[in-house]
Amino acid sequence: VVVYLNLHSFLFFHVLSLCLGYSPPGKPKLTSCRSPEKETFTCWWEPGSDGGLPTTYALYYRKENSDAVYECPDYHTAGENSCFFNKNDTSIWVNYNITVVATNALGSNFSDPVDVDVVYIVQPHTPENVTVTVMEDKDGPFLRVSWEPPRKADTRSGWITLIYELRVKLEGEEEWEEHRAGQQKMFNIFSLRSGGMYLVQVRCKPDHGFWSEWSSTTYIKVPDYFPRETSVWILIAVFSAFIFFILTWILNLKSNSVKHCLLPPVPGPKIKGFDKQLLKNGRSEEVFSALVVPGFPPTTSSDCEDLLVEYLEVYTPEEQELILEEGKDLQEGCLKSKGSPSDSDSGRGSCDSHTLLMEKCGEGEGKEEKHQERAQKGKRQQKHQTGWEEGDVSHTREDVLSPDMSEGRVKTWPSVFSPLPQYSSRPLDHQGSLETARHGLQLPGFRSTEYVEVQRVNQEDMVILQPLFSSSCQRDGHLQIGQGEDYSKVKGVDSGNMLLLQREVEVKREEEDGDRYSCDIQDRVTESCYTTSTAASSQVTGKPTSCAGTAMPVQEEMVLAANGYVDAATMLL
Amino acid sequence: MAHRGSQATTLYLTALYMLVSCTAVPVNDLLDRASQRSDKLHSLSTSLTHELDSHFPPIGRMIMPRPSMCHTSSLQTPTDKEQALRVSESDLLSLARSLLQAWVDPLLLLSSSANSLPHPAHNSIYRKIQELQEYSKSLGDGLDILSGKMGPSSQYISLLPFRGSNDIGQDKTSRLVNFQFLLSCFRRDSHKIDSFLKVLRCRAAKMRPEMC
Repeated sequence: VVVYLNLHSFLFFHVLSLCLGYSPPGKPKLTSCRSPEKETFTCWWEPGSDGGLPTTYALYYRKENSDAVYECPDYHTAGENSCFFNKNDTSIWVNYNITVVATNALGSNFSDPVDVDVVYIVQPHTPENVTVTVMEDKDGPFLRVSWEPPRKADTRSGWITLIYELRVKLEGEEEWEEHRAGQQKMFNIFSLRSGGMYLVQVRCKPDHGFWSEWSSTTYIKVPDYFPRETSVWILIAVFSAFIFFILTWILNLKSNSVKHCLLPPVPGPKIKGFDKQLLKNGRSEEVFSALVVPGFPPTTSSDCEDLLVEYLEVYTPEEQELILEEGKDLQEGCLKSKGSPSDSDSGRGSCDSHTLLMEKCGEGEGKEEKHQERAQKGKRQQKHQTGWEEGDVSHTREDVLSPDMSEGRVKTWPSVFSPLPQYSSRPLDHQGSLETARHGLQLPGFRSTEYVEVQRVNQEDMVILQPLFSSSCQRDGHLQIGQGEDYSKVKGVDSGNMLLLQREVEVKREEEDGDRYSCDIQDRVTESCYTTSTAASSQVTGKPTSCAGTAMPVQEEMVLAANGYVDAATMLL
Repeated sequence: MAHRGSQATTLYLTALYMLVSCTAVPVNDLLDRASQRSDKLHSLSTSLTHELDSHFPPIGRMIMPRPSMCHTSSLQTPTDKEQALRVSESDLLSLARSLLQAWVDPLLLLSSSANSLPHPAHNSIYRKIQELQEYSKSLGDGLDILSGKMGPSSQYISLLPFRGSNDIGQDKTSRLVNFQFLLSCFRRDSHKIDSFLKVLRCRAAKMRPEMC
């Protein structure tokens, strides 16, 4: 009956508790076990729910060799929910099977068992007595950190081997600088910031175990010092000096261009006859009066004779080739605008191609054959000529196609003169005349460098030529420059490819031109040689000039049809 | 003739003696090197067991044999610090050598079955087993030299025959379980060897306390 009553009350109690919402405890859980020195260890657990009723916890363990179950010897030393195994209860290289039980009035709950071998769960305490001192050496101050192993760990006997690690940072920084110190208990830190406040911490770990916690922070202030990294400063100074010297030298070298860049020169006046000194010193009237050049603006000629092309260069075909070979630039040069006489560079300079012509004189003969080819080419070219300018002067040079040349030296076929109307305005006709003129042209091979000057183009669009030489250039009596004998009008070119000249000519001499060209002509004349051609008619005679010095025989006949120089005097014969 | 012969012999012996004494490594250096090797040995075995654990069937943990089933458990070793520190140097060395010797054959077995182990990392495991064998061999040689210097009692080696069969099992789970069990036994034994040698090292390094 008593038993029945007990059971009944027990059941009643349970049912009542359940009705009131109580329950057996939840499952506890062993969180970790740790041994600080490989001699003792502690295990901690986490309680489950307590079911609303007061719950007690118990820890039971079994060692690997026996089946005996023991209860935790010490629940208090290590705190709440812990079990401390002292030295007597601790065996190493032995597996412990540990279980925690939670018990309350309604029941109990076992945790999952955990196997523990003490040697694998070693986690020492933090190193002790961490001291940091500032020391000096020749390079500056450094920190010496020293510490001691945690008190309990027996490193002296070699039972536990600890390795250390420390970390440093400046106050206010985020990142720590970590250093492994191995088994030593002292460490030096260099390269400190002058006047900085440093934080130092140390921790340790057994050879096969877990890291301890970081020791409490030690603060140390580095005194102010001047960084004696003199080598760096020296290097910087040398480098800067070097750069400076280089720059100075470059600047010196390029002083002109720098000056030019920074202070561009003011263009001075380039007026001929303009005296700068006079401008600086004298009065303006004087200065400007000096500018007045007699003869400019030209007032004498009223029909723009002077403004026209100064002279015509009439070549033989081969000369033209050779001249061409020389380079068209000569041609171009020759075609500079005649401009005003006051211009000292009259553009004639390039027309020192005369001298070039001289040089090529000897070669002329050899090029007969080539010339024929080119003549054909030239013909074709002529056909393609476009853009001839009307009026003034037409450029009839065989190979020159550029219409720009119309204003420059006119190198023209004498035959151009005769059919004047045709020639000047109608390229087609001109071509035709040129062609006829060229037909059957034989290379006289002579290289006459005498110029025929275009005096003007008259109303009928005729180019009026005059020789360039003046009386002063006469060397011998061969040059017969009489009145009205200096130039002749080209009447035409007959079928025999001869230049037909008119008798009546206007005597006109351009003093200036003559002066200018006289001596040139002389020069030319001395070197030139009239080469004869057999095709010439007797109407035109070669002009015996001072070219007599040449080896070329002077024949009576002279063909000047294509590119010869027209010597008016002789042709009048 | 004999006179000259004996002279030559004396000369030879003197030279040999000088050579030996000049090149002889002091004991504490030898111990230092040995404990470095044993440290490495234990680290390797620990990483091996962790690697194997990564793909271990949970049921395997249930059926894992108890550590007392290790073939070396019959060897009496100290179980706490006081006991360990009471052991003499030569005994400690002898224990270390015995344990090391006991694992020569099992390591061979592990090595041969590592390649066919049903584990994703079996290649890496195989390489590590090879390393284990190398370190084990070189440590053994070093300990032999040490024992020569430390007296006759250190020469004694307990025989711990490995009675395990020549293969580690038939089915996948039992293979894994047996492999892991062997490795766990090795891990503990390598830790013992390491501890003994480090205690020895500290005892020999009276001149250099910073070693300990």
